[in-house]
Order: sequence, then C-alpha cells, then structure tokens
Amino acid sequence: MSGEFLVELDGVQKTFRLHHFFKVDEDTQRRRLYRKQRVHAAQAVSFAVRPGEIFGLLGPNGAGKTTTVKMISGLVRPDRGEVRVDGLSVERQRKQVLRRLGVVLEGTRTTIWPLTPLENLAYYGNLKNVTGRVLKRRAHELLDFIGLKDKKNVQVRLLSRGQKQKLAICIALIADPKVLLLDEPTTGLDVQSSRAIKDKIIEMTRDLGKSVVVTTHDMHVAQELCDRIGIIDKGRLVACKKTSELLELFSDRTFIFRVDRLPSLDPVRDLPGVMEASNELSADGPMLIVRLDAGMEARSAALYGVVGLLREEGVLLRGIDQRQQNLETVFLQLTSSTI
Amino acid sequence: MFGFFLVMKAEIVRSWIIMRRYWFRTITGLFIGYGMLVVLVLGFMASSDQVEQAMSRNFEDAAAATNFVLGFIIGMFAFGVVGMFTQGLQGMARTGILEQLCMSPHGLITNFLARSIVSATMTIASSAFMVYMVSLTFGETLHFYPGEVLLLLTLTFINLLGFGFMMGGLVLVFKQVGQVAVLIRMALFGLAIYANEDILHQGAVVRSLMHALPITDAAICLKHVLIKDHLLSDGTVLPLLQHPSFFYLVLSCIVWTSIGVACFRYMENWSRARGTLGAY
Repeated sequence: MSGEFLVELDGVQKTFRLHHFFKVDEDTQRRRLYRKQRVHAAQAVSFAVRPGEIFGLLGPNGAGKTTTVKMISGLVRPDRGEVRVDGLSVERQRKQVLRRLGVVLEGTRTTIWPLTPLENLAYYGNLKNVTGRVLKRRAHELLDFIGLKDKKNVQVRLLSRGQKQKLAICIALIADPKVLLLDEPTTGLDVQSSRAIKDKIIEMTRDLGKSVVVTTHDMHVAQELCDRIGIIDKGRLVACKKTSELLELFSDRTFIFRVDRLPSLDPVRDLPGVMEASNELSADGPMLIVRLDAGMEARSAALYGVVGLLREEGVLLRGIDQRQQNLETVFLQLTSSTI
Repeated sequence: MFGFFLVMKAEIVRSWIIMRRYWFRTITGLFIGYGMLVVLVLGFMASSDQVEQAMSRNFEDAAAATNFVLGFIIGMFAFGVVGMFTQGLQGMARTGILEQLCMSPHGLITNFLARSIVSATMTIASSAFMVYMVSLTFGETLHFYPGEVLLLLTLTFINLLGFGFMMGGLVLVFKQVGQVAVLIRMALFGLAIYANEDILHQGAVVRSLMHALPITDAAICLKHVLIKDHLLSDGTVLPLLQHPSFFYLVLSCIVWTSIGVACFRYMENWSRARGTLGAY
C-alpha cells in the first residue's frame, strides 16, 4: 500500500468475546454459570480507498461493517493489523487522524435536539477545533449545500428524520475532513430523503473532493452510489472490486430473444458458443432463452448464429434483451445467505 | 490547552442557549429547589426532640437549619458532579453524542473536564443563590470568606472530579454501573449532610474510610468556614489552613484525581478493545 490512498486497512482483525451468564447447555440441558463465545467481526480485512472515491462496504447484518468503520474512526481497537488514514496510524496518531475524519454512525441521534442546526454546527465545530469566521462561513455553506438553509434556525427536534440525517452529515463535514465515514446513511429514510442523501454524497465527492466510505445493506444504494464495493461476510472481505467489474464478473450471459412463435431448439443448441437454450411463454409473448459462453468472440458468434437460425426458420424477431445482473444477486452468490 | 477552552466555550454557549430557551424550566427549577429546602428545614425544625436526637447532633444547635441546608447543597453538588460522569455518560451514549465526543481530537478527558467545569460552575451559582435565600428566610447568616470558599469549592470539585472520572471510566466499559452509581451518589449526598468533626473521632478504620471518601473533609471544611466561622466546638479559633480536614482534603484531591484520570484512561482503552466506547 502506498500514499496514494486516504484510507488503508491492512490485515485487520477483530474478535469480540461475548460472555453469557446462566446459559443453558444445549447438550446436557443443564444451566451453566458462565460461557464465553467468540465473534469474529473482522478477519484479515484489507482494502484501500483513493481520494475522491466512494467506497461501499456491503454485507448482511452482523457481517462486521460497523466494526470496520469503528476501527477506521478509532472507536474500536483492532486485535491485529493496521488502519491508516492519510498515511497516519489510527492507533499511534489518533488525534491527528480524527482531524481528518468525519463520521456518521448508524442509529444514533448525534444532533442536540434543543439546539438549531446552526447552533449544532457551532457546538461541534468547537469540539473539532474549528472557530470564528471559518466556522460561521462553513456552517452556512454546509447548510446551504445540504439543503437546510431555510431550517437553520429551527430546533432540531422539529426537523424530519431525513433533515436530521442531513444535519448529521453536515456535522461530520464541519471540520472539512478528508474522509467521510457513513454507516448506513439511508436506513429508515423515505425514498425522497434517501435519494436526496445519495445525491448529496455524490455531489460531495465531486465538488468537495472527499473520500467516502459508506456501509449499507441496501443494494440499490451501493450500486448507485459506490465507485468500488467491498463485500463483507462473517468478518471476511469476500470481494473488493469496482462496481461495474463486480457486476461484469458475475454477469449473467443469458439473452432473451422475444419472438412471434417458439422456434426449434435443437439447431440452436448445436450452435458453437451456446451453453443452454430453452423456450418460454410469458405474458409478453413467446421467448427463446439462450445462455452463452463467457468468451467474447464465442458469444458474438453464437448471437449471430441464433439470429441467422431464426431468420432461416422465418421466425419474426421482436427484440433481444440481456438478462440484467444486479448487485443483489451478486451479493447473494458471494455470501450465500439471505439479507 | 486551547482545545480545553474551546470545548468549555462550546459548553457554556450550549448551556446558556438551553437555559434561555427553556427559561420557564430554569426559573421553576430554582423555585422548586428553594421550596424543597425550606420544606425540609421546616420539617426538621418542627420534628420532635427524640427524632432530632436520633437523627444527628447537628440539629441541636442554633445554626442547625443553615448547617443542614449547606450540607444538603454540598450533597447536591456531589450528587450532580458524580452523576454527570455516570448517568450523564449513559445518556450521552444512548443519544450518540458520546461517540462524537470520543471522536473529538481534543480527547475524551478534555471534553469531560470542560463539560464538568461548566456544569459545576452553574450548579455552584444556583446553589449559592438558594443557600443565600434559605439563610435569609430563617434569619441565619453564613460567614462568607470569598477566598477560602472559592479555594474549598475548587478543591471539593477537583476531589469529586477525580472520583467522577473513576466512576465514568467504569461506565465506559460497563454501562450498567450507572445504575449502581445512584447508590454511591446517594451515600455521598448523605455524607455531605451529616459530615462533622465528630465523625473523625471514630476508630482508625472508620476514620480512614471517611478520609478516603471524596466528600467528608470537603463538607467539614466548608461548614467550618461558612457556619462555624472557624470556631471549634470548644470555642477556640482554628484557621482553615490549620484544620486537619483541610490537609486531608488536599491529599484526597491529589489521590482521587490521579486514580480517577488513570482509571479513566485505562477504561477508555479497555472500552476500545471491547468495542463499547461511545456505544450504549
């Protein structure tokens, strides 16, 4: 890993020990006084985030996403490995690291409800070493940017959930951090608020040049928002690629030929590059479904072949679609679990 | 150091805004506090001799009411300062504010120190007002020596702060300690009310235990100055700096602050390792 990254995790490991008192032993059905359990929240997790990049950490509940974010923000100490932010070690240079980070954690209010957004920003600004005119200017700019300008003097308790979340993002940005960590930023928000938050995150990386690490279990959020995605399951990073590469890697090479009547399947199956072929009748009309070879050249030849056969048979071709692969199916394939 | 003042400024502004915005609550809080003290004092004054004797020798002398009120106020102060580190910390963990404080570059100790000073100053100001009003109501006057009182209040605060840091450290790791801490706060509260020189004439074990507690010597010293005007029970004058409790108060300040801060740092690290820092 080199200085080109703003966030680096190198072989990070974290195990939590859970203590249960008076737990019933499943084998003997006897009540035991004490039992320890180990939960591996992170197992040799390594990834890096470039400046201006939105990196998504995707995983089911309890996969270790929040623990990973907390290790980057210094709230949780890793058992092994190293976390670096802007080249600084989170363990050894924590205070300097915290100046470079803005964090919004899931399920917490963060904001002080009796205060207005402007007063909240002034309060947290001071906690993060921002003062005077700089603080005032930045607070106004952020509220303007996030769309809370007209609510700046309204008490937070009177704001909607989406507006509170927007304010939490402003608080995280008040010290102008290089890296923003967002833990499930759209959870519990309505479609409009969720869309607004996503748009602002994208705008933020483009306009303000921030790097964003976002955790989510919402596939749509990840697919729309992230430049790169790391899929985490049971504490292990099972994939880490560009969103487009991840979709391509697991892309379904299945093509749907929408026709006016069902063609004969044997000639299609005999074509080089065709792995599987079947006919289907749907509400949309008859369909020939063909699964092709992974290689680009073989795939191209097979597609030409199928079209040629359909023409020879006098079948009217209404359209061709490729079955869309989405992140949800990729995610399920990788984690082999339900969300 | 600059960070400490910044946090303090933020806390003053926050407290002032909330106090001003919820002015009705602030004013009624003062009236309720005053009314509560008056009712308590009247109750004790009206109670039978047997009850008075059973409760404490404090109520046999002429300044009993003032003594009781002052003890009550010191108790409230102790209750408040320690509570800020226990229940306050629990509350902040629940709302997520604690996580943000943990991620402040000034560090958790600086943040808490600044918060405590602001909160304690406000408590002292409102308590002083209430003590003054109650003493006026009952015709008793306090012997007010600004320098000595300020010194004693500062030492009392430092003492409680050290103890509070220790309790707060425990709450960082074991959040449920906050519930148990209510009992400790109540004990400190009771001790502040009934603390007097006689306690220090007990056996060595009891005496050592009393000196070790963070409020005993502070309450004795404050009562010695404010109520007894430096006079001992035999009528001799004993300046504050020569009072044995003052020596123990200073010693206790050093010990509790060292233990408290060390414990808090250790617990903060332990809490990070356990993954419970800032979370409820």
